[in-house]
Amino acid sequence: MAVRVPILRQGRTLIASIQEDLSDGDILELQSRVLEDVIRHRATGVIFDVSALDVLDSFGTRTLSDIAAAVQLRGARMVIVGIQPEVAFSMVLLGLTLADVPTALDLETGLAMLGRAA
Amino acid sequence: MDDIIASSAGGHGRPGGHLADQLRWFDITETDRRQAEALAVTADELAEPIIEDFYAHLLSFEDARRHFRGEEQIARVKQGQLKYFRELVSASLDEDYVRNRRRIGQIHERAGVTPTLYVGAYAYYLHRLGHRVMAKMQDDPAHALPLLLSLIKIAHFDMSQALETYVEAREATIEQREREMSELPTPVLKLRDGLLLIPVVGTLDSYRARSLTVKLLEGIRDHRARAVVLDITGVAAVDSAVANHLIQTMTAARLMGASSVLTGLSAEVAQALVKIGVTGEALRTAGDLQHGIEMAERMLDG
Repeated sequence: MAVRVPILRQGRTLIASIQEDLSDGDILELQSRVLEDVIRHRATGVIFDVSALDVLDSFGTRTLSDIAAAVQLRGARMVIVGIQPEVAFSMVLLGLTLADVPTALDLETGLAMLGRAA
Repeated sequence: MDDIIASSAGGHGRPGGHLADQLRWFDITETDRRQAEALAVTADELAEPIIEDFYAHLLSFEDARRHFRGEEQIARVKQGQLKYFRELVSASLDEDYVRNRRRIGQIHERAGVTPTLYVGAYAYYLHRLGHRVMAKMQDDPAHALPLLLSLIKIAHFDMSQALETYVEAREATIEQREREMSELPTPVLKLRDGLLLIPVVGTLDSYRARSLTVKLLEGIRDHRARAVVLDITGVAAVDSAVANHLIQTMTAARLMGASSVLTGLSAEVAQALVKIGVTGEALRTAGDLQHGIEMAERMLDG
């Protein structure tokens, strides 16, 4: 069953809170929806909250990097928030370091980060 | 041959594991055993005066004298020596014998009998014994010599058993200390809101590095930290696996949204990091804790 991640809007910031493990198809669907929303709402910031996830695989990580790069091309910034300790370490072990995407501890910190930049 | 080297290099804690190999290495044959047994008949007669001489010799050293509490103890130890000597010439050289010898080695080790004292005492014995046997078999020196040579072989085997116990005991002590060092707690200290300090003191082995990772990452989550200063002034050296682990931990911290600063790298640690290909750009480091904290505070405020 496809999972449709809700994209919330607060001011000019979009928030996508991923609550369960997504299939590769779900992630691709989310990618195109986020980019459409960025354009439609002229968003300046995007936050991906992954705090509910127990695992982030290489496909998911790469797609998040892609989304971040595309968002940046629209002149907006993207932050990934809520990567859990064990998720973070297993990502590093897999060599997934998300070198060009900013990260923050939680939603609040992420919002503050985007607020400072704006 | 390789087996023997391997067993002497790494085969501790297995008394008599390769007893047959060991005996072969010392070139101890059935003939040697028979010849040692030939001495057994006269063992007591030979040994008693030597033991008397030996203790006179031993007690002429002030340090040694202090170890003995009165005549009674000396008499008991002398009795023990006689038994030791009887066992040496009876030369059963089986597993029980080896176990017993190792046990005695342990007792010596604990009593502070150093290898020098032990080997010295043995040399004293063998020397006196040689003279006495030669004197006793004056009429037949050609027969006496092989007897003694066989006994010397067995004596050396005997010494090797005791010395192995010394090494084992030391290694056990070292292992114990290492374990204690790596079980030192690693506290996570909150310096101010959002800033953690983790000082690491002692040996950083891979076991402790793992627990450090867990503490650091969970500390970030629990304290909602945005910067972590990891101070390893108290760590003398790390191997490349641990160095790699440190880098991975700091990368994971970044994924959680916290910047980390590594401070107090010793020369060896710095070299270990360079060896695995880490450069200053990939890693935020500061020369000492003060600068590290200043750097972290700038990151928090900036």
